[in-house]
Amino acid sequence: MHFPDKNIYKPHLAVIEAIIDETPDVRTFRLVFQDERVRDSFTFRSGQFAEYSAFGYGEATFCIASSPTRTGAIECCFRATGRVTEALRRLEVGDTIGVRGPYGNSFPIEEFYGKNLVFVAGGIALPPLRTLIWNCLDQRENFGDITIVYGAKSEADLVYKRELAEWQERADVRLVKTVDPGGDGPDWDGKVGFVPTVLEEAAPAAANTIALVCGPPIMIKFTLPVLENLGFADDAIYTTLENRMKCGLGKCGRCNVGNVYVCKDGPVFTAAQVKAMPQEF
Amino acid sequence: MTVGARRCLALGDPPGRPYRRDNNLMPRTITAQNLQALIDALVGAGIRVVGPKRVDTLCLYAPLANGEELELNEQPRRSAKEAFFPPCEEILSFERQGANTSVRDPDLSRLPATVLIGLRPCDAAAPEILDAVFSWDYQDDFFLERRRKTTIVGIACTRADDACFCTAVGLAPDCRDGSDLFLIPLEGGGYAAEALTDKGAALLERHAELFTQAESAPRLPLAEPRAAELDLTKIKAWLDGHFESPFWREIAAHCIGCGACAFLCPACHCFDIVDEGSEAKGCRRKSWDACGFGKFTLHASAHNPRDAQANRYRNRIMHKFKYYHDKFGRTLCTGCGRCIRACPVGIDLAAVLEDINNNG
Amino acid sequence: MNQTAQKTESAPLVDETYYAAVTEAIRAEAARLLKEGAVAAVIGYVPGRRPGTALPAVVTTPERAAELIFSPACRNNLSLYLTKAKQDAVPKGKLAIVVKGCDLRALAGLLGESQIKRENLHIIGIACAGVFAANADQGLPLNETTIAKKCRECTVRLPAEVDFTAGALPKLPRLTPVEAEELARLEALTPAERWAFWKEQFSRCIRCLACRQVCPFCFCAQCLCDRNRPQAVENSVRPAGNLSWHIVRAMHLAGRCAGCAECERVCPMDIPLNLLNRKMAEELKERFDYEASLSPREKGPLTSYQEDDDESFIK
Repeated sequence: MHFPDKNIYKPHLAVIEAIIDETPDVRTFRLVFQDERVRDSFTFRSGQFAEYSAFGYGEATFCIASSPTRTGAIECCFRATGRVTEALRRLEVGDTIGVRGPYGNSFPIEEFYGKNLVFVAGGIALPPLRTLIWNCLDQRENFGDITIVYGAKSEADLVYKRELAEWQERADVRLVKTVDPGGDGPDWDGKVGFVPTVLEEAAPAAANTIALVCGPPIMIKFTLPVLENLGFADDAIYTTLENRMKCGLGKCGRCNVGNVYVCKDGPVFTAAQVKAMPQEF
Repeated sequence: MTVGARRCLALGDPPGRPYRRDNNLMPRTITAQNLQALIDALVGAGIRVVGPKRVDTLCLYAPLANGEELELNEQPRRSAKEAFFPPCEEILSFERQGANTSVRDPDLSRLPATVLIGLRPCDAAAPEILDAVFSWDYQDDFFLERRRKTTIVGIACTRADDACFCTAVGLAPDCRDGSDLFLIPLEGGGYAAEALTDKGAALLERHAELFTQAESAPRLPLAEPRAAELDLTKIKAWLDGHFESPFWREIAAHCIGCGACAFLCPACHCFDIVDEGSEAKGCRRKSWDACGFGKFTLHASAHNPRDAQANRYRNRIMHKFKYYHDKFGRTLCTGCGRCIRACPVGIDLAAVLEDINNNG
Repeated sequence: MNQTAQKTESAPLVDETYYAAVTEAIRAEAARLLKEGAVAAVIGYVPGRRPGTALPAVVTTPERAAELIFSPACRNNLSLYLTKAKQDAVPKGKLAIVVKGCDLRALAGLLGESQIKRENLHIIGIACAGVFAANADQGLPLNETTIAKKCRECTVRLPAEVDFTAGALPKLPRLTPVEAEELARLEALTPAERWAFWKEQFSRCIRCLACRQVCPFCFCAQCLCDRNRPQAVENSVRPAGNLSWHIVRAMHLAGRCAGCAECERVCPMDIPLNLLNRKMAEELKERFDYEASLSPREKGPLTSYQEDDDESFIK
């Protein structure tokens, strides 16, 4: 019987090894594949995504938020906003979920060797960059300066707080963290202001530098002109697109932006590629 | 475009391998009576035969119990795609015991060998077009296993109505694309039969006694769809440059956003995946979906990239005549006319294409 | 290839001059309204590419008013485009709308449910001889075989209380009711037989939702059947979900459905949906002495409580 392994819609089973509440409504799952062979053979690249099942409710699409340099488990990070994510949120440590993937393209990290990197993220959009940040930090010698500009509505809304602290401590990382005006508490030691403004102040040099931008559409819209003013070319800026997906395999027909299938041709695109697409995302 | 020529892409194994004809297998003839006998023989041998069958007021593709049920005078209301891509199918089932969940997938090896008979060229050509999307990179065996196990008996079309436009999209009433065996109606009720693939030849050979060598009567005149001639290359070129155009609102602002066009279409392949049952025990199903539905692209955050009905209709046209072409070099339409007949608000795809063709 | 051949030779019910007169009247009124700036648009019908067909159109210039027509192919209930579900399709401001008597009942329902305001409408009523059935050969004239079932029993050929009436009603022969007979036939069946009938009908449903999308009363921003938290109705094409869907819809339309039968006309699977709606209407008439009419009422019997409501069905 050759078939069972060929069902492209069949997920691997994974056990929730740990649950970390990043914010009051954003949660990280640390997942270990049940099948030892899958545990050994599952490889992915930063930027790729997966379909996560809450059995009985369906599948939801998120990036793999952990770094491929950290093996043994993968992590995903989600906010409970729909049927599936709410069901996922009800699960506990030890419960089983389904994971299909990895799917999509990835950040061409090898092309970044020898360059400076500027990561710009907003809110819950840090996970798609966090996989790459750790990937780069785990091979720090391959990169020049690393700058991370990250902001959220308020202190409480910042995800990966413990890792922000770690990055802040590191001498080989420049972390600029910010919260929107009014989102700062009495002990806030970061900046106050929107990400594009804070990025402008931080003014990372564009020469030999790659910018990686993830955030809500409104943040991206105001960040791209700032990068442009700083001298970044459109093909030196990378971002990820998100669209509603079902199959993740280029078949179900709903994630396309023009003739670009986000699930197959993306989710990672350069700003030049995004500008060439029909503006329907 | 050459009528009847194969325009197959190199996409792995084409399910119907082209058949190399030798002299022993020149066109044969089968009488109308023997065509029924062929179906009876197949059914008798335990082979599933699916063909157009009268159901109440309409005609649908359905398993035939015998040859008499075959209804060749009417185009089935739904296309033949459902023989490979059913409206709804289980893709896996799950059961939870404690914290653990087990997942089982359906045994596709149990899908029955099927003879799909009585497809006009507009239906016969579609599955081969869909092979591209269901087999690129990831192989969707729910579709492809059925393709492997199905023999398609196409039939030349002798009756077109004013919604038919196969000739406008490069097909023809006697187009052999997608057929393994092809029947051409003869005067007096018989059919000339041509084997086009190994599968078709095998079917013909296995029941050779029902066929005679010579063509006994003249062929019936083919249907003559009155559709205007279209330049698909020109249409695509216009689409390439007109994502933004007032045209879309002009033709589709009144679209009501149902899925009739997509569900009746032989080539629309979009689907949804949903879990049904409970978390304790249930299954995951793949169901037809339509880009005309407002919820199709709706994000959980309430953001909707295609937030106006005209934009959703634009996607339908773009997908068929541009995107699918960009990706797979094929047009995702066979001109069957079903969407035109079924549209509740009279949107006429052939008219839309004519508009682009003439004014684009 | 024709869906259902209806080549029966049957005498036309009305002569062509009737349609020409109605068409002329609509065009003149629409052109006048648009020229005077009295309305932002006229919602009417224009001819389709195929001979004998028509489709809805939103006309905004006096020049385009000349494209408007009335023919037996003008079946759509255009009041659909006045609902919030279809607000994309029409401009803001006062609108003129072409309605047949059956459509006017839907309009009255929408007025009653506060979905539209009468002062924002200019109603062009049609003295209507009837329209084509769902699968009629539109190349034929309107005759006894091509006419819609609802038209055979029409009681509102001449819409009242409109702002303008297009055409004059020709003398029409009396037609035998078909749908009433079909309903009576179903009523006479045993519950098991009726169950078998509907099960068979719903087994063809492909959940294209044309019935919902074409219905003037299905204007809910969030249809119960699109909700998935919790999932009220299964969305996949399967017997359980199909049955729930059609029953939930019939219940939600009870006391609201105006009987335009658009759901049945557009069903690509020929499911006789109006039989369900009509049955509900008969129940409401019998139990609550209520029927959809031409006068707007705020609340139907199923959305209001009265001391003397019939409770005999509660067992």
